[in-house]
Amino acid sequence: MSAPEFSVEIFQNEYLASEAREVSVVVSVASEGLPVHAATATGAAEIIIVDCSGSMSAPQAKMLEARDATAAAIDAIRDGVAFAVVAGSHIARSLYPAKDSMAIASPETRADAKRTLRFLRPEGGTAMGSWLRLAHKIFTTRDDVLRHAILLTDGMNQSESVSALDSALELCTGVFSCDCRGVGSDWKVEELRRISTALLGTVDIVPDATGLAADFEAMMTASMAKEVADIKLRVWTPQHAAVRFVKQVAPTIEDLTNRRTQVGPQARDYPTGAWGADESRDYHIRVDVQPAAVGQEMLAARVSLVQDSDAGPLTLGQGLVKAIWTDDEELSTKINRHVASYSAQTELARAIQDGLEARKKGDVEAAETLLGRAVGLARESGNEQSGRLLSNVVDFDEESGTARLKAKIVEGDAMALDTRSTKTVRVKNKPVDGAGQEVSSGQ
Amino acid sequence: MAICPAGHDSAAADYCDLCGIRMGSQVMAPVAPGPGMSSAPDFAHSPGTPCPRCGESGFARFCESCGYPLDESTGQQPTVAADSGLVLSPCAGEDRAASTRATTWTAVVTASRIHYDSVIAAAGPDASQVRFPDDCPERRFALAGSQVRIGRRSVTKEVVPEIDLTGPPADPGISRLHAILVSQPDGLWSVIDPGSANGTTVNDVEIMPGETVQLGDGDRIGIGAWTLITIVAHPSYVEGNLRNGDLRG
Repeated sequence: MSAPEFSVEIFQNEYLASEAREVSVVVSVASEGLPVHAATATGAAEIIIVDCSGSMSAPQAKMLEARDATAAAIDAIRDGVAFAVVAGSHIARSLYPAKDSMAIASPETRADAKRTLRFLRPEGGTAMGSWLRLAHKIFTTRDDVLRHAILLTDGMNQSESVSALDSALELCTGVFSCDCRGVGSDWKVEELRRISTALLGTVDIVPDATGLAADFEAMMTASMAKEVADIKLRVWTPQHAAVRFVKQVAPTIEDLTNRRTQVGPQARDYPTGAWGADESRDYHIRVDVQPAAVGQEMLAARVSLVQDSDAGPLTLGQGLVKAIWTDDEELSTKINRHVASYSAQTELARAIQDGLEARKKGDVEAAETLLGRAVGLARESGNEQSGRLLSNVVDFDEESGTARLKAKIVEGDAMALDTRSTKTVRVKNKPVDGAGQEVSSGQ
Repeated sequence: MAICPAGHDSAAADYCDLCGIRMGSQVMAPVAPGPGMSSAPDFAHSPGTPCPRCGESGFARFCESCGYPLDESTGQQPTVAADSGLVLSPCAGEDRAASTRATTWTAVVTASRIHYDSVIAAAGPDASQVRFPDDCPERRFALAGSQVRIGRRSVTKEVVPEIDLTGPPADPGISRLHAILVSQPDGLWSVIDPGSANGTTVNDVEIMPGETVQLGDGDRIGIGAWTLITIVAHPSYVEGNLRNGDLRG
């Protein structure tokens, strides 16, 4: 099997003022030339976890829609992929196939699995940690490389302690990825976000259960497109340098700073999970380096995509982050467009989340200040989706530039704003000088 | 194995494996601050009394508004650059000499769960309303000049401490001028709490307001609810001066 390849593009202003040490860069990574998929060789496994706690019976259609959605997801599983369905309440149990095992997808097993969905009956509480533990147990009966789960819930994690969920997440991190969906508006955004963040997945709200089937099918299709697992972003820095943060900033914001594994005195790895063909993601990295003399050029970071193999780590793509010290303020004060846009969008997500948190606590003034700021940031960075979602929650007064919470807010709208706050828009390349390093062009 | 311009062995042929300098380039001497460049922050102050720098009324050793040392033993008045209105530190001349020193010092600012827990335990239930931050990137400040102020910037007084911990995340227990790091003639640094609202600890022991506590490599200054500042010495090939303002993003 030939090794996959990644293109790495660097967007930065490499010029620093004399004595400056802060290097900020956007690294755009795209998968290219991934090996043609051979289902059995790669070893993919899928588990669908469906909430069947008591609350799923109200309204009654919810459980039925969840069944249909699960069926749609099962239909999207490719032949040869291992799969299972888990029913979750205050306990977790295997719904399909037999106890704690996996079936291999074929027309027959898919039909069998769909028939068992009628046994999904709403009853009991909600303990997501126990659901994840069972998924872990089932996944680890085999050694598939690509392991992915979908978790659907409509409620809060009230049948177990916070630490039970935390310890389950610790167990599952690095073993499988998990996309989370909340249906209705009685679940807690931060709970599902904790799960999706730890397990390198997505989180979203499905306000109305009728939208579930399409969403499940889309998630499963995306997962089936993944072809390589466990790709790591390696950041090498020179001596006396410190990595201040590493964040994925597109398609969504995920802070990876605390997920690092030190792999030598000057290098650390950050997990990026599984990749499909022609997928692209952007990362915002900030490194502090020891300043050198004006005129000196230094490598501030070497950013590579790394995959472990039997022969040791393979480098699948690499980009160089540079620092050049200059006295020319015109050069050093420019901010790269990509860096500026993602900085604003990161701040936007933060302002939305903090603003909604303040609203929940009853601090109207803080909520309006923060959400008003978010409206401005959404416009500045061209994030139209966040702008639209904000307009469901606040009225913005153009004249005074201030926001007011709407008198009546649909809870689902506030939750949609929260869950989708981390979704970013990409910075468009300029049509003429598409090269990222605007500042250095023409030098 | 190639050798980089700074003399390190490097397996990589483009940039040095160790220091990152471009292979085959010339190593240039580090710059000393030139004329007109001051390590003192550029605030428009008019000297007056009682603080000769900003005019705020006096405190025992340091002006609480701008951090100017009021200690008479310095025996120097600030000088005002004629054309810019900048106030130069009385020690500006020494700063340049300092750039030849072998050791540089860095203040590394982090959010410390241990410090937070001890503050909460000591202060009782009220303090528990202050949350430990979810996300607090490490901040590093190079120490330079005769003194480095630690605090939160004041928009109204136009004071920006060199170590500006305004955040986010904001530690509400930090005063506008919380503590001052003072450079000593022997190249070491000491810390003074000029009378902050919530006090300062060094290696978990509370220090007295106005007391000068000498610091060594690895010493930890605890301020506010969760802010921990670790002082780190490193032998240096380039002297890094602190830039005005902070180094955060």
